[in-house]
Amino acid sequence: MVVRHMQAYGTAVVAGVTPGRGGREVEGVAVFDTIAAAVSACGGPFDAALVSVPPLAVLDAAEEAIGAGIRFLLVPTENVPLHDAARLLALAREAQATVVGPNSAGVIAPAAQLKFGALGGDQPDRAFVPGSIGVMSRSGGLTAEVGLQLKLRGLGVSTAVSVGGDAMIGTSPAELLRRFRADPETDLVVYVGEPGTQLEEDLAAALAEEPGGTPLVAVVLGRFIEAFPQGTSFGHAAAVVERGRGRPSDKIRALADAGALVADSFDEVFRLAQQAIGAQTR
Amino acid sequence: MARLLEQHTKALLAERGLAVPSGGEARTPVEAEETAGRLGGRVVVKALVPANRRGSAGAIRFAPDPASAGREAAELLGTVVCGWRVGSVLVEEALELEQELFFSVLLDQVRQAPLAFASASGGVDVEDVWSDRPEATRILVLDPRERPSPYRLRELWAAAGLSGPELMAASALSHAAVDVYFETDARLLELNPIGLVRRGEGVEAIAVGALLDVDDNALPRHPALAALARVGGRPPTPLEVQARKVAAFEPYRGTARFVELDGDIGLLCGGGGGSLVFFDAVQRAGGRAACLTELGGNPSEEKVRRLARVVLSCPGVKGLLVGHNITNNTQGDLVAKGVLAALDELGLGPSEFPVVAREVGTNDVEGRELLELAGIEYLGEETTMEEAAARIVERVRDPAGAA
Repeated sequence: MVVRHMQAYGTAVVAGVTPGRGGREVEGVAVFDTIAAAVSACGGPFDAALVSVPPLAVLDAAEEAIGAGIRFLLVPTENVPLHDAARLLALAREAQATVVGPNSAGVIAPAAQLKFGALGGDQPDRAFVPGSIGVMSRSGGLTAEVGLQLKLRGLGVSTAVSVGGDAMIGTSPAELLRRFRADPETDLVVYVGEPGTQLEEDLAAALAEEPGGTPLVAVVLGRFIEAFPQGTSFGHAAAVVERGRGRPSDKIRALADAGALVADSFDEVFRLAQQAIGAQTR
Repeated sequence: MARLLEQHTKALLAERGLAVPSGGEARTPVEAEETAGRLGGRVVVKALVPANRRGSAGAIRFAPDPASAGREAAELLGTVVCGWRVGSVLVEEALELEQELFFSVLLDQVRQAPLAFASASGGVDVEDVWSDRPEATRILVLDPRERPSPYRLRELWAAAGLSGPELMAASALSHAAVDVYFETDARLLELNPIGLVRRGEGVEAIAVGALLDVDDNALPRHPALAALARVGGRPPTPLEVQARKVAAFEPYRGTARFVELDGDIGLLCGGGGGSLVFFDAVQRAGGRAACLTELGGNPSEEKVRRLARVVLSCPGVKGLLVGHNITNNTQGDLVAKGVLAALDELGLGPSEFPVVAREVGTNDVEGRELLELAGIEYLGEETTMEEAAARIVERVRDPAGAA
């Protein structure tokens, strides 16, 4: 289903790999037993791999992809064992491969009609239209909702990235901010954060690196869960406040101190984005 | 988290050659007295709950003789320690410790690598040592892909101030512990304290206190541990137990997470971030959520129905918000059918029980039709998630003021 939706949007899916199913075809795409076989048949190496396998198979599949020279991996799988995730991310760092996820809904670039992963579903145009706003979110569903709310206000997206809902992810919001700031097609970045992890604190530090750079509108969800006992997990595995660390209020303060336009609520993100884009075009 | 009770952790450590105190689990004061008699001498009686900081909670007692071991067990059994009811106690020999050490290995999610902590001041809460005297704790960053050579643990303990036979004994025990950490997919393995005991000319290191927290996601690889582990930071409520069964039903399709709270507005929302937006907005609008639920990942109608029944069974629930951000794959018609079936089974009609639905995305046209036909207030993409949350708060406050 994901492959069909990607193809319909315009993404070229060159080969599929499912061990034991070599020789078949899915949505017109040839399936191979190994990535090595796909590379020799299609004259690879490939640009990117969608690592869409069950949690316990993710590490193995990702090692195979990196071993075959692929340097961009999107991992949508949720509930990847933590030791496996740590091994996978260490391997990727060593191989200088970019990993998005685990637990990422995908990446989409509306102007190029490129989409990787489930993000946008069967009707990507409903939520994502081309524009100049870079979107990054720890929640995959909200990545699309941000696109939709921007569209309803006449705004569009350069690239949207669901960075992954897990505590340990490959490409961090801080790294993505640096990439968005280097991207001539992006004039504003919108970020949706959550409780737990140090991702927002790192993002704040990255924002402060270049004070006059592309502005950032940010919101950190879960302010009302601070009242609940520590260690209670809400939603994503990552959204856990442990030992007083990872509190939304601390993250909000760090982002505001670093110069982000911090929204008080999710709806306010779009008012701030509209104002910021309006200020630029005047 | 998935924690093992101490007797299980110690059995696992003993199987792998780590020294642990002699002892046994007791479910009654009589059993405790018998175990103490068999061990002879002074014993320690520990409440078996999957929590650390039991010492400061008064759940670790020393007893000079079997009769007092029975009395201590009687006092502990049936009480609640750190949120958990004490169903049994661990009765162990009380060792003459020459020195107490602290050792733990945990997966640091910021560094994305395992860290080993060593301190020559054991037997106390490590958070206290860490905050009061950070210089007393030494840290070793490990490679997640490779078990460390023994010399790295010797370096760690030498830096922490050990030498001679103490250094050798502590290093060997912690090296074996790191192996257990890797082998069990642990989030945390804590030995607190490691007791150093004089044995003739030499020194033996013994895991006197032990806590193992295994990664829930890895439990399918460790069926023996899965059968023993207690999952969660507090004991689950009966409804949470039901919700876990819903989540386990059709494990490859649909996410179903549920945390019970004490408010009166049921939330059947998703996905992970979306749930937080709805939850924050309900609280901000002055409402009180009866639960926090995450429903996503394209669940079947049956899975929706089962989770909706759990949400609608929250005590004192007066209304329901069904909501999603625009979905990537969760199908609005299946959500609608599941919710309607649950409402129907529980005899909750739209005229007396307020329900607001904000369902946008895959098959939302069909979903809208089903919901509106059943008399449920449907809000589309033109209504923001936060506006929908404010709407259910308003409806619950004034059930007569339906749209």
